[in-house]
Amino acid sequence: MTMDVKYINPFIAAAKNVFKTMLGMDLMLGKPYLKDVRATSGDVTGIMGLVGDQKGTLCISFRDKGALFVFKTLVGDECDSVTPDVVDAVGELTNIISGSARGEFEKAGINLKAAIPMVVVGKNVEMNFITRIPIISLPFNFSVNNGENEVMFLDFSFE
Amino acid sequence: MKVLVVDDFATMRKIIKNVLKQINVDSILEAENGKHALTVLKGDAVDLIISDWIMPEMTGIEFLKACKADDAIKKIPFIMVTAEAQKDNIMEAIKSGVDNYIVKPFTPEKLKDAIDKAKARAAQ
Repeated sequence: MTMDVKYINPFIAAAKNVFKTMLGMDLMLGKPYLKDVRATSGDVTGIMGLVGDQKGTLCISFRDKGALFVFKTLVGDECDSVTPDVVDAVGELTNIISGSARGEFEKAGINLKAAIPMVVVGKNVEMNFITRIPIISLPFNFSVNNGENEVMFLDFSFE
Repeated sequence: MKVLVVDDFATMRKIIKNVLKQINVDSILEAENGKHALTVLKGDAVDLIISDWIMPEMTGIEFLKACKADDAIKKIPFIMVTAEAQKDNIMEAIKSGVDNYIVKPFTPEKLKDAIDKAKARAAQ
């Protein structure tokens, strides 16, 4: 089974829009790839199940440093380790990206509903994507602090 | 200006507070649902309410209706925050007297604009 490429663009548009709006930063999309492991890509991962006209799972995943940057920029507080507040900020960002993506899908006539996001801490944590088709990983690059490169992984499987 | 931010997610309240600070609003009260917000409103004079839609105990729309039915607080400008995919809900909020709404994600400028419009509408 394969995934229709038309399902990719709403996620790209949503991720870029939310990052630009809420964090004031441009995301640069790297080369998408198929993930053969059904597990988290980064250290802190927001997971959102989507159901309705289609079904699937969306994951927004950051390495520690990226998650701390997201927390600092969104909330305005400093934090030097992944605390429950940092985890919640990644969950909220996942929620907003999911909401924005669902708006994009709605424009294409696809109505979706989302669950409350869950956040998993840990790399390579096994996950259930509720679909049998491959997972597409979209690596988005962004700059943190002194120009250091970080990555937000947007992993999804949708059918 | 004193703003009451109502959202069941503490992190979202912090995010909205951070955005408000960027537009020089520093006096901010918080409540985790509509029921809690009504209690806060009894004890504090508030100039603006920013409320989420989906919350336990008392939802945003129930809270809005309660505010607009109470002579003591019905003139407080009320902004509803919603997700892109819940925009249809806004019609119900407009019918219930909401002064403005804002769709997530939003910039500080967009929030300021929404506040200005809500205040103008509430003053009519």
